[in-house]
Amino acid sequence: MSDTVLQVEDLSVHYDVRGGGLLNTRKRTLKAVQQVSFELRAGETLGVVGETGCGKSSLGRAVLQLVRPANGRVVWQGRDLCGLSDRELRPARKDLQVVFQDPLSSLNPRMTVGEIIAEPLRIHQPELSAAERTEKAAEMMTRVGLLPDLARRYPNEFSGGQCQRVSIARAMILEPRVIVCDEPVSALDVSIQAQICNLLRTLQRDTGIAMIFISHDLSIVRYMAHRVLVMYLGRLMELGSRERFFARPCHPYSQALLAAVPEPDPGRPVSQYADPLPGDVPSPLDPPSGCVFRTRCEHATPVCVSQQPALELAEDGHEVACHHWRRLGGHGAAT
Amino acid sequence: MSALIDCEHLEVRFRTEHGDVCAVNDLSFQLQAGECLGIVGESGSGKSQSMLAMLGLLADNGYATGAVRYRGRDILNLPRRELDQLRGDRLAMVFQDALSGLTPTMRIGDQLAESLVRHRGLSRAYAKAKALEMLEIVKIPAPDTRYCAYPFELSGGMRQRVMIAMAMLCQPEVLICDEPTTALDVTVQAQILRLLDGLKRHTGTAIILITHDLGVVAGLCDRVLIMYAGRAVEVGNTADIYASPQHPYTAGLLRSVPTLGGDPDTDLPTIPGQPPDLERLGAGCAFAARCGHTFGPCTEQLPELTRVGPAHIAACHRVNGP
Ligand SMILES: Nc1ncnc2c1ncn2[C@@H]1O[C@H](COP(=O)(O)OP(=O)(O)OP(=O)(O)O)[C@@H](O)[C@H]1O
Ligand code: SF4
Ligand code: SF4
Ligand SMILES: [Mg+2]
Repeated sequence: MSDTVLQVEDLSVHYDVRGGGLLNTRKRTLKAVQQVSFELRAGETLGVVGETGCGKSSLGRAVLQLVRPANGRVVWQGRDLCGLSDRELRPARKDLQVVFQDPLSSLNPRMTVGEIIAEPLRIHQPELSAAERTEKAAEMMTRVGLLPDLARRYPNEFSGGQCQRVSIARAMILEPRVIVCDEPVSALDVSIQAQICNLLRTLQRDTGIAMIFISHDLSIVRYMAHRVLVMYLGRLMELGSRERFFARPCHPYSQALLAAVPEPDPGRPVSQYADPLPGDVPSPLDPPSGCVFRTRCEHATPVCVSQQPALELAEDGHEVACHHWRRLGGHGAAT
Repeated sequence: MSALIDCEHLEVRFRTEHGDVCAVNDLSFQLQAGECLGIVGESGSGKSQSMLAMLGLLADNGYATGAVRYRGRDILNLPRRELDQLRGDRLAMVFQDALSGLTPTMRIGDQLAESLVRHRGLSRAYAKAKALEMLEIVKIPAPDTRYCAYPFELSGGMRQRVMIAMAMLCQPEVLICDEPTTALDVTVQAQILRLLDGLKRHTGTAIILITHDLGVVAGLCDRVLIMYAGRAVEVGNTADIYASPQHPYTAGLLRSVPTLGGDPDTDLPTIPGQPPDLERLGAGCAFAARCGHTFGPCTEQLPELTRVGPAHIAACHRVNGP
């Protein structure tokens, strides 16, 4: 079970940005991801959760080298991908695939759906004939629940859910080992979300592919992921098994996230929610000192202001970055 | 007691190259003072257009028929000027994208004050004091400083608060919110839902909340109206509908939402297929192609809204039939 497919160590992603206000053109560094480490295991889904701008997507892209990390290592089959040139990366790209949030805009509007799905074969398996490619694409379409008859249509004739099936087919056609799904159902209707979630689960069961599933929706992550990684302002807050995380989250931020999930239960009106976290997420250009969560944390003490909490190991291999987790976590919190 | 808003047989059509498209069909509902009504449906089911039609805000190629009575007076085809007055004053709307509702080049405090001067004829000084008070009510931190901020300087959650402040300024009787929290993070969403809930309790404002999130509806709405392909398919108290949905679409929708309590090891029940193309609706039930309970009349005859409980109606042949 716990064969590591991908080892991520101390990964950081920085962007150069210009100022904030209208006239401010000073160049600054936005630290989107800061020293995140985790391993991805064979056949598992790692859920990555957090709020807007917390660095979820940057993390996913950096793992795939779609953005180049500022620091850290991504070890794939014994090699660190971070140092490789684009050409050297090519064999790895075949095994590491991605599905994005916006189904339509991630598909080339001038290619037919059949061509889009077969495109990776053309690049990575040039020895295949056109007929073989078409046949494989048709097979893949069936597996993701699309009628192969639709292969000659263009993406704009497809609904959002169908486009997402096309993206998934394109990502899966090379039989990759790892797939990063970045908010793959957020743009879809509720009734279509469940279809796509089930499809991803089925594909994983059949192929044993390891998945990084990025989402802001905790209910969906609970359903998709074996382990959960929580980020806030670019940093890892908590990482642990689904069972442990949802039953007894250790980190005050995880507890607040879980308490804020609107459950479809009229017996639990808004007035009975736990008090929501105060304030907004601070600007990632200007993160707080010490613990980045301290400006919204009701448990913050002076040490939280002066010192950044290290990632500590709790029981069951659970990892948490909070000075006071021993006092705060682990007693069936989020109720 | 007569309803605050009485919408009867509302129909919204758009003239397009392919002829007329009917986006909202025979929509009837009532909104009572002080209640919160949720409107739920898939993308394109007509949630937004029905509300825009009520407020006279349809795109140029759109037109509405039927009747929308506000306190007994038909406002659907009111002259522009009267409608503008009513809209700023008695009926207000908040959109998903808060930026689109604010003037980018004007300080947010001034925008609020301006509206009070225009609609309520207050003096500048008094309007300014009132605007500041409103920023406090919607819990903008450091309202004195924020009064002078431009919209782009605020976070998404903060902008949504300003929009709500703007909408609540003249103490409207009806606040229509179109996906007010969809663009927000879950912890910020919880703040905004709290805020709306507080407004409802303390000011008695009636709220219509358009959303696709069944969790948000459960948290905030007294009643819910489910739309499918431009029509209301089920209306009732939120508790009744969640406990025993009568329309197969509602039932399927409720089942397909992952929850924190469900069993994550079994597949989610789904509704197969996808919503129909409004330009190609047949004669029968629009849900027939996705429904597991289809029988004789379903593909031929449009099911009408029928009473299934006290204050609970649904449009499905099964409700009457076998
Ligand atoms: N100006 C227009 N011309 C033609 N059709 C339009 C126009 N505006 C809206 N429509 C159509 O009206 C129908 C209903 O749209 P509406 O915006 O009310 O849906 P909605 O339920 O609010 O969806 P969403 O959840 O995506 O916001 C859709 O099919 C839409 O494409
Ligand atoms: S380290 Fe301090 S501020 Fe950060 S989460 Fe823990 S208690 Fe809160
Ligand atoms: S009318 Fe028929 S097709 Fe429509 S929802 Fe009811 S049973 Fe299903
Ligand atoms: Mg809408």
